[in-house]
Amino acid sequence: MTETPILDMEPALQALFKARAARRAAPPYSARKTAEIVEALKRFFSAAVPGAAPEKVMRMGGGASKEQFAFTLTERDGKSGRFVLRMDPLEAITETDRNREFQILNAVQGIVPAPKPRWIDERGEIFGRPAAIMEFVGGVTKPSGAGIKVSGLGTWLGEPLRSKLRKPFLDNLVALHAMDWRKAPLPSFSAPTADPKQASRWGFNYWKQLWREDAIEPVPIMTYAEQWLEENLPDCEELVLTHGDYRTGNYLFDEKTGEIVAMLDWELARIGDFHEDLGWVLMQIFGTFENGKFRASDLYEREEFIAAYEKASGRTVNRKSLHYYDVMSSWKTYVIVVGTGMSVARAQHNHQDVLLTFLAATGAMFAGDLCRLLSQREFV
Amino acid sequence: MNPSVDDRLASIVRALADIVLTALPDDAGLAKEQTQLAIGHLQILRAQLDAAPAFEAEELSDARALGAALLADGRGGSGTVEAMSALHATLDQPVGAEHPRQSRLRITKAIDNLLRQMAIDGDQGYRAKAADVLIRMQTERSKKDRKWFSLMGFDSDI
Repeated sequence: MTETPILDMEPALQALFKARAARRAAPPYSARKTAEIVEALKRFFSAAVPGAAPEKVMRMGGGASKEQFAFTLTERDGKSGRFVLRMDPLEAITETDRNREFQILNAVQGIVPAPKPRWIDERGEIFGRPAAIMEFVGGVTKPSGAGIKVSGLGTWLGEPLRSKLRKPFLDNLVALHAMDWRKAPLPSFSAPTADPKQASRWGFNYWKQLWREDAIEPVPIMTYAEQWLEENLPDCEELVLTHGDYRTGNYLFDEKTGEIVAMLDWELARIGDFHEDLGWVLMQIFGTFENGKFRASDLYEREEFIAAYEKASGRTVNRKSLHYYDVMSSWKTYVIVVGTGMSVARAQHNHQDVLLTFLAATGAMFAGDLCRLLSQREFV
Repeated sequence: MNPSVDDRLASIVRALADIVLTALPDDAGLAKEQTQLAIGHLQILRAQLDAAPAFEAEELSDARALGAALLADGRGGSGTVEAMSALHATLDQPVGAEHPRQSRLRITKAIDNLLRQMAIDGDQGYRAKAADVLIRMQTERSKKDRKWFSLMGFDSDI
């Protein structure tokens, strides 16, 4: 049988798909036991930091994609610090690369608050799966007392936090987009410079490839949206470093001061179009509704956010490009929750199958969003 | 009398909530999270259980209606015409004892095939009209689906 070639996308991501294909037939995955992680950490640090002793290893909750453990490392000279081990399960709701995440975290130090990456087991030689270790950052992703919410969706910040978080949320995004990625140490990242549509095409193809591999059954509105996205690829006038999952729920903040202490979840970062991040910020699922008014990430109303971004960045938001990425955001989120999430849960390749099948129920919202967005004739 | 599905689910929920969850140590964060989620998921299944057959029958009915609407005034090259014939045949196929989910899946596959063929050699006017039909009907379908899953608590706008 002839193998269907992987679509045109960043070479590092093509390699990711090739590696993934080899894991697809693997038996079910079990969540790693804390005792196993303790042993793996000891083995890892016996080589990486001889004499250092990992202790107080604790599994971290939250998140829908990686296995995470916090631990303390005390070095031979008594110096001690708290760290986070972030590790791939066999498959996850997003298919990403720990090495790229490590590189981007390193590259944005001093530009955007982010956990400092320290060590990596790129091929999972010690931990069994690829893993990265970064410095622990204190803070919360939602106000205490906000109740249980899956993965920070629809987090209500309320006042006075909302007023305090608005500016740093925007400023950090603007700073990231202003970063000179050409000078950044990002060897696993490739810039889509071949033609003006390569940035949008690479992004689109990554998600199309996932849908092709993971869709459990055809979904007509997804098929139509895919065709629309392919036929309407926008030019990218200025390549920037994008975060890929920029929203409330993906930053840690100090609840007292309202300071953002770390932006998290950089695994979908790439060199692309800033409109992609804006479209994601403006997704309804990551925002709140109050008296019929939508607030993106519970921080800004839509037009208010666009105007604030334009003012702070000096860029002009191209409404047609933004519309494209609005559609792309809903389409790709459907790929994530209904395609990859369900496919991975069915294969029992993740440690949180019950969360993945729960999240898949959000698919109806994204299907509704696609219908709403694709009927906006002024853009279509 | 047999124990109902709801009675059985209710007893599982109670066992998870009262026995399993309370026995978990404080540092078993993932186990607690997943137990709570499993309880919530089971509670929602209980609430949906009686209405599930009607919901799936309506899904099938909506898929049929979409297929029929897409066939109206269809035009295009040989690929599109062939896909239209296939969808027609699927809609005409007797359901028999087949589960509504399976019937819906057959129809959805035929619709999907038509959409893909239309993009290759469909008449442009027909394709635009089909897109309007698809968006209009899927808007209504997504409202029903969102309502069905409203107990999950994601959807603040429904």
